Amino acid sequence: MFIINCPYCGEREQSEFKAGGEAHIVRPKQPTELSDDEWAEYLFMRKNIKGIQFERWVHTHGCRKWFNMVRDTSNDEIKAVYKMGEKPPAK
Amino acid sequence: MLNYTNVITEEKSYPGLQMKEIKPVMKLILRGKKREFLSAIGKSLNLLLPTEANTSSKSEKLSAVWLSPDEWMIYSNEVSDPNINDYETENLLNKNISKANLGAVTDVTDQFVLINIKGDKIFDLFETGSPFNFNDFKNKKGSVTQTILVKIDVIIHNQNQNEVNLFVRRSFSQHLFSWMNDSASRL
Repeated sequence: MFIINCPYCGEREQSEFKAGGEAHIVRPKQPTELSDDEWAEYLFMRKNIKGIQFERWVHTHGCRKWFNMVRDTSNDEIKAVYKMGEKPPAK
Repeated sequence: MLNYTNVITEEKSYPGLQMKEIKPVMKLILRGKKREFLSAIGKSLNLLLPTEANTSSKSEKLSAVWLSPDEWMIYSNEVSDPNINDYETENLLNKNISKANLGAVTDVTDQFVLINIKGDKIFDLFETGSPFNFNDFKNKKGSVTQTILVKIDVIIHNQNQNEVNLFVRRSFSQHLFSWMNDSASRL
């Protein structure tokens, strides 16, 4: 259980949110030119870091907006929260 | 309003708490992003939509609550005629917003149930079932929050000191009202 600072609503409890997986995965510009392995890599393979991870979250039970979060997965410390489309903070 | 068999049939009173459904009340969800959308709403209703998060605005006939940066709910301050399912405000907004391609107007009158709660133990009741921190909320008239109460999505609009309007989806209203009665009886 931890508090998340929604960029739209402010501080809320984690149970109001849902995690949406790794952030900043760019869709290939020409999917038809990819091999099956490359497509599977894009579609399914995700990092599972112990440490600083860039993630997407959605405020499901609040404003229903998606946003990005930088979280330390080892201790759930939230380093930064920023809106979709904004540049991620420097690593 | 449609002809439903309502699940909340009576007003309930406990020491420091009174709860009742208010109906029929027109409720509309407005969605839009453009600046023209906001100004068209303002001109049509003589009511400015709140742009600050977790706030509301009010005119003589309507209240507008902030739900998200591009979503608001407006509801009538007075009950409407139960035999009419056609609202002047909705028709006006359909003409000035939907048909002008500025945003979307959705009638949610029958989707949400409005429960009015009065008394000095409102937030004691909420705190038994919600993860939301009501400390600032309860001291700020007109504040709004969407949160969860016993795992049910609710919209809570702080009306006055010791009075709130709570909106809940109709299908969850019976369970929520039952829980509120149970919880209120133990405060």
